[in-house]
Amino acid sequence: MVETSSSMQSSLASRLADIAIIIVLVLLGFVVIYPFINLLALSFNDGKDAARGGIYFFPRKLSFSAYGMLFENKKLLKGLSWSVLRVIVGTCTCLFMTGLLSYIISIRTFSGRKFMRILFFMTMYFSGGLIPTYILMNQLHLTNTFQVYWIPGLFNAYFMLLMASYISDLPEALFESARIDGAGELRIYWRIVIPVAMPVFAAVSIYAAVGHWNSWFDVILYNFNGKFDTLQVYLRRLLLEVEATQQIRDQQLLMRKFQDLSPLTLRAATTIVVTVPILCVYPFLQKYFIGGITLGSVKG
Amino acid sequence: MAELWRRVRRERQIWLLCIPMIAWVLTFSYYPMYGLFISFQNYVPGHSMFSHWIGFDNFVRFFNEPDCLQIIRNTLVISGLNLVIGFPAPIVLALLLNELRGRVFKRTIQSLSYIPYFISWVVVANILITLLGSDGVLNDILMKLGLIHEPIEFLMNGNYFWGILVTSNVWKDMGFSAIIYLSAIAGIDKELYEAGKVDGLGRFGLIRHITLPGIRSTAVLLLILAIGGILNAGFEQQLLIGNPLTQDHYEVIDTYVYRFGVQLGNYSYGTAVGLMKSVMGLVLVILANRLSKRYMQSSIF
Repeated sequence: MVETSSSMQSSLASRLADIAIIIVLVLLGFVVIYPFINLLALSFNDGKDAARGGIYFFPRKLSFSAYGMLFENKKLLKGLSWSVLRVIVGTCTCLFMTGLLSYIISIRTFSGRKFMRILFFMTMYFSGGLIPTYILMNQLHLTNTFQVYWIPGLFNAYFMLLMASYISDLPEALFESARIDGAGELRIYWRIVIPVAMPVFAAVSIYAAVGHWNSWFDVILYNFNGKFDTLQVYLRRLLLEVEATQQIRDQQLLMRKFQDLSPLTLRAATTIVVTVPILCVYPFLQKYFIGGITLGSVKG
Repeated sequence: MAELWRRVRRERQIWLLCIPMIAWVLTFSYYPMYGLFISFQNYVPGHSMFSHWIGFDNFVRFFNEPDCLQIIRNTLVISGLNLVIGFPAPIVLALLLNELRGRVFKRTIQSLSYIPYFISWVVVANILITLLGSDGVLNDILMKLGLIHEPIEFLMNGNYFWGILVTSNVWKDMGFSAIIYLSAIAGIDKELYEAGKVDGLGRFGLIRHITLPGIRSTAVLLLILAIGGILNAGFEQQLLIGNPLTQDHYEVIDTYVYRFGVQLGNYSYGTAVGLMKSVMGLVLVILANRLSKRYMQSSIF
């Protein structure tokens, strides 16, 4: 009798614990997602109306002018195209070169294998830091060029470890037979390694692409003349409210066209525009990326 | 013989591919390390490196700066708070997620929790300015509740800065770090839990005696790394969320190096401060590792 009641009690306690956990986690999920909901609501709201406050979940007075303004804004479109170009060029070149390096340090018969591995591995722990790197970029005349977006990122030691651990696990016979047939190393890399190691290439490409899309500081550090401003930098400019109003004032024509605009809604709309691409790749992120970090933590 | 010849040719081919890679790594990674020498000089851009050796003057200068104490305080307070709140938070999240029975719900919450990790600091700063601004949601709610009578400019007041910064750090990283703990939890032998139940352990007992010991080595590893990074109090977030009004509270070593070294052109001095920080970071990792070896019986090297 006593036993039943105590087990009933513990199952009740367990139930309550379950409910408490669910409540805590739902709250947490809400805290994570709410800022985006609020920005989304603001971005679709009439500007003057939004300034009155009180918009929480849904737009009160629906308006698309913030987006209309954004997509007629040449500066934003330019920023967007630099960002896209940077992501594509930066990701492809980094993937190709770091992948090649990873393949080379996975060739078991290669005498320089260990040397190359250590040479790049060391860069994970030691670096010259901000200023020596900055001076170097100046000396190489890489500042205020598009090249600074991808050349310094061609090789990445962390990606190298991830990719090499995957490639080393592939059966050696795969490459050996191609070698006997007389294929060159580059050809083997392009024709065999890349297709077979696609999962790790996909994982790393998502890492790299998100990094390129999100980067902000290297743009303001190296490309200070504003010619190659990316979307993040443009968004940052809008943050400073003055700039936003100035943008509107500068464009008299747009001003007449979009009378219901405010820095608040414009900022919200830009933030959404910058965030949406991340959310679009999110499913892929989940598929490859999560596998990638657990792979790294086991083998790294 | 033919075999050997082929091998030499093969090696030559690979070495040929290696040459540009070696050139790249020497230029972009090793040459800047060599550039650290300028911290012992009075380097002027355009002039040759190695012109004016001044010994440790640049290092001493930092400690004589009037802002020195404030910068060290900010660095230690911000990363201390990051450590105290940001280190246990993902563990708690992972434990909570692990207690969930509904698979779909668990997956949904987990997927949501690491969205912020992939969002740039520019966007986070934008979100903060929108939510915490005078016409933002937080002020709106506080006013409606009657807790305040006029909007508070949270981002314009240094007293709120640490709280805002640390909260956004935790918000951004918690879900992602939890993945590592969840995968550690997934690696725990299921039979241990069965045995624990047989021995009469309740839910909390199982967490205390099986799950927590199971993720201990992961936690120690991350803790050692976090202690080594205690002087990295963040950089982009300070520049993006901070403003001249909150500078007294946001300036940390890294932003100081940027402001003094790059923006004001004190290359040698900035490099010296940065180098000092890296060396202390290295010492801290080694110390933390020693301590954990002695008291926790686990270490990273």
